[in-house]
Amino acid sequence: MNQPKHFGIAVMLSLMLVSACATTSSDSQPTIPRAWDGHPDLNGIWQTLSTANWNLEPHPSYGGLPAIGALGATPPGLGAVIGGEIPYQPWARQQQQQNFSNRFTEDTEAKCYLPGIPRANYMPYPFQILQGTGKIMMVYGFAEANRTIHMDKAQPEPAPIDSWMGRSHGYWDGDTLVVEAHGFNGEAWLDRAGNFSSYALTVEERFTPVDANTMRYEATLTDSEVYTRPWSISLLLHRNTEPNAELLEYKCVEYSEELLYGHLRRGAGEN
Amino acid sequence: MKYKSSLLAQACLCAILATAAQAETPALTGVQHIELAVSQADAAKKWYQTHLPCEAVAQRPQRLNCGGMRIEFVARQSLGGSQGTAINHIGFAYPDVAQKMQSLENVGVGGAGVRLQRFEDGSLYRNDPGVGLHGFIFDPWGTRIELVQSGDTPTFHHIHLHTADPSMLKAWYMDNLGATATDQGIMLAGVEFHISINAEGRPAGTTERAIDHIALAASDIENLSAHLQAQGVAVYGPDVPDNARGGAKRALIAGPDGARLAIVEAEWDGFEAQQDEQIARVEQREPFAVPYTPWGEPDIQGMWTGNAAHGIPLERPADIDGDTLTADQAAERREQGTLRSIWGYEREWRDTTLGYDKFSASQQVAMIIDPPDGRLPPLTEAGRKALEDEALRRQTRLTAAGPEELSTWVRCITRGLPGMMMPGVYNNGLQIQQSPGYVAVQKEMIHETRVIPTTPRQRSGIKQWLGSSRGRWDGDTLIIEVTDFNGKYLYRGAGPDLKLTERYRLVDADTLEYTFTLDDPTIWTQPWTGMFHFKRDEAQYELVEYACHEGNYGMRNILSAARAKDQQAASETSGD
Repeated sequence: MNQPKHFGIAVMLSLMLVSACATTSSDSQPTIPRAWDGHPDLNGIWQTLSTANWNLEPHPSYGGLPAIGALGATPPGLGAVIGGEIPYQPWARQQQQQNFSNRFTEDTEAKCYLPGIPRANYMPYPFQILQGTGKIMMVYGFAEANRTIHMDKAQPEPAPIDSWMGRSHGYWDGDTLVVEAHGFNGEAWLDRAGNFSSYALTVEERFTPVDANTMRYEATLTDSEVYTRPWSISLLLHRNTEPNAELLEYKCVEYSEELLYGHLRRGAGEN
Repeated sequence: MKYKSSLLAQACLCAILATAAQAETPALTGVQHIELAVSQADAAKKWYQTHLPCEAVAQRPQRLNCGGMRIEFVARQSLGGSQGTAINHIGFAYPDVAQKMQSLENVGVGGAGVRLQRFEDGSLYRNDPGVGLHGFIFDPWGTRIELVQSGDTPTFHHIHLHTADPSMLKAWYMDNLGATATDQGIMLAGVEFHISINAEGRPAGTTERAIDHIALAASDIENLSAHLQAQGVAVYGPDVPDNARGGAKRALIAGPDGARLAIVEAEWDGFEAQQDEQIARVEQREPFAVPYTPWGEPDIQGMWTGNAAHGIPLERPADIDGDTLTADQAAERREQGTLRSIWGYEREWRDTTLGYDKFSASQQVAMIIDPPDGRLPPLTEAGRKALEDEALRRQTRLTAAGPEELSTWVRCITRGLPGMMMPGVYNNGLQIQQSPGYVAVQKEMIHETRVIPTTPRQRSGIKQWLGSSRGRWDGDTLIIEVTDFNGKYLYRGAGPDLKLTERYRLVDADTLEYTFTLDDPTIWTQPWTGMFHFKRDEAQYELVEYACHEGNYGMRNILSAARAKDQQAASETSGD
């Protein structure tokens, strides 16, 4: 087997250290890779197969911009929202529908803006996890987005300023990496269908390995400005096991410039 | 409102002692000087002589006579500009403010230029009731200056105090220092002090800000000090401070709202020219052992900043022979670099938020360590052409037809390599994260992250803005070779054919040596190497999300200004 040699010790340690450790390894459970400290090894490049980024709610396919034919259409999907529907306050559902109508120009993804949390984790782009000592860094293959998950703080600290990606603190709950994120500016959309949140958003995320190269991603969104109650999404992330897998550069600013600044181009007002 | 209660107490006291105390209030004979903190006294004096009615004073290198007001320049870093403090600004009178402001606008803001503070409507000067025609500028070291239309010749005009409570402030100066009320504020020691309400509440204290204090000359300093102390005012002195020129005494007073005042004897002659007080710190260090990660690789993780290295020129300046600068020279150079590159930001913002104060400026003379003369090797013909092309492109930027004619930094795409590693005036954070077989190098500015494998990996051959990075550990040194640049960003002309080799090495627990070698035979006749240090700043620093593109108002403004220029040009050629 390809197990790290300290696997047994690590499990013993985690048994000793983690109270009520419900995830002791047994023969029936698949083997998951372990890091130096005995926690699950999440290092690598991950990506979802879900269509969550098109629409978090269950949806049939629908068309996009006629000019680019089927390229701009939305593939159908079962959705990622537990219970199927996001519990919007009435005004917020109206806002979401308005967003949907304007999605080709107003989606923050179209503008190559930072995708925020949780969206960064289920976009159709890879992201790389670097699990070091004290911190975990996630580097996203869209818009140079990134986040640092502080594993080394005694208490969650306030965000220095509101930001697109927020501030993240994490801890291990058995084999689950739990991340509490807050301090968002509320600008990032949740998907291409206009689903959204506000600056009041807090997100609790759970990354739980289900086998060697798959983990379940769950996120609970709490935002009393927009929703009637907290709600959750659940989807799978897959580790890219191609031997030459590599996070390539996707600096999308260039591709958003015509959308954002085209009206200021020389000659734009003529004809 | 601390001084409210002391005033009440004082009012009771005065009820008894009123007549005697008032009669015995020792007279102020004038405002003796205003003390400004400037990081470069010589440059500051030159600035004041060039732009304001200031004249040198023989034998007193730190002093100017500015239209009747003595200004002492103290060479030290200030904690911030005068705006926002209790001594908000000083004013000069000009017979024609419009003409003066226009000539100052023509000076420009580059180098030790003139920073104009426009009114909300964009105008440089305007007519306000009770003030007349006036406008505002800043000196490069943070002192706010008002120009007021008055009189026939340029002269000093007034000192402007800000407070949360103008009536209390007036009362303080009238009761304690014998000021008299005027329409605009008070007349104190023969000088107009204007008083305005501070919109943000209590203003900041002035100590170690750009306008540090105002010194009032007293005919009897001992008597006045005693009098003030009796009124409950904190007085430090009077005494003859160390390094003071001559034997005159001075006392410092904690004035209302944090305004620092001094009272001095009329003969007070300032300080002897400051000596270099930097004491070379002899650091005894244990031999340093590089830490290792639990999985057995050298551990260079952490929060680093390039703040100490900001200001180091790439090439050795022709006029410096030595191996290092003095600490003062280094501080001055960094300040110069700051002023040159980023005029619009306040000192408070730069120096406190960004942690510059935390690390003294690097005393390294230049980044280039090879060639040994510290100069770039000669350019090839193509290298010269590339630089000329770049200069041409710059000329067109103010009339850019679209975003692609602007730099990739203005567009928030990238500062390229090695550009993104270079220290700048702000957002110098560098976070390094490791996992087995990988190092992530994340730069705060623009927010760019490179994920670099440190085990052997073939290159994909795909061309990217930041090329393709392949790393390896050579002992305790991380060596990264970068090739396959897409050539859309050029570093001094180098791009498509550039091979960049970086070396990261801990020289002690808090110092990361960063060495970069550029090899591009199409641009330079030989490879060259530069080096500077990142300093660890775990305790204070955290990368702030630099959402550059998301907040790129600059791009909209530049392009809309360019379109306005187009229109202007079109209407001029149409001949009306």
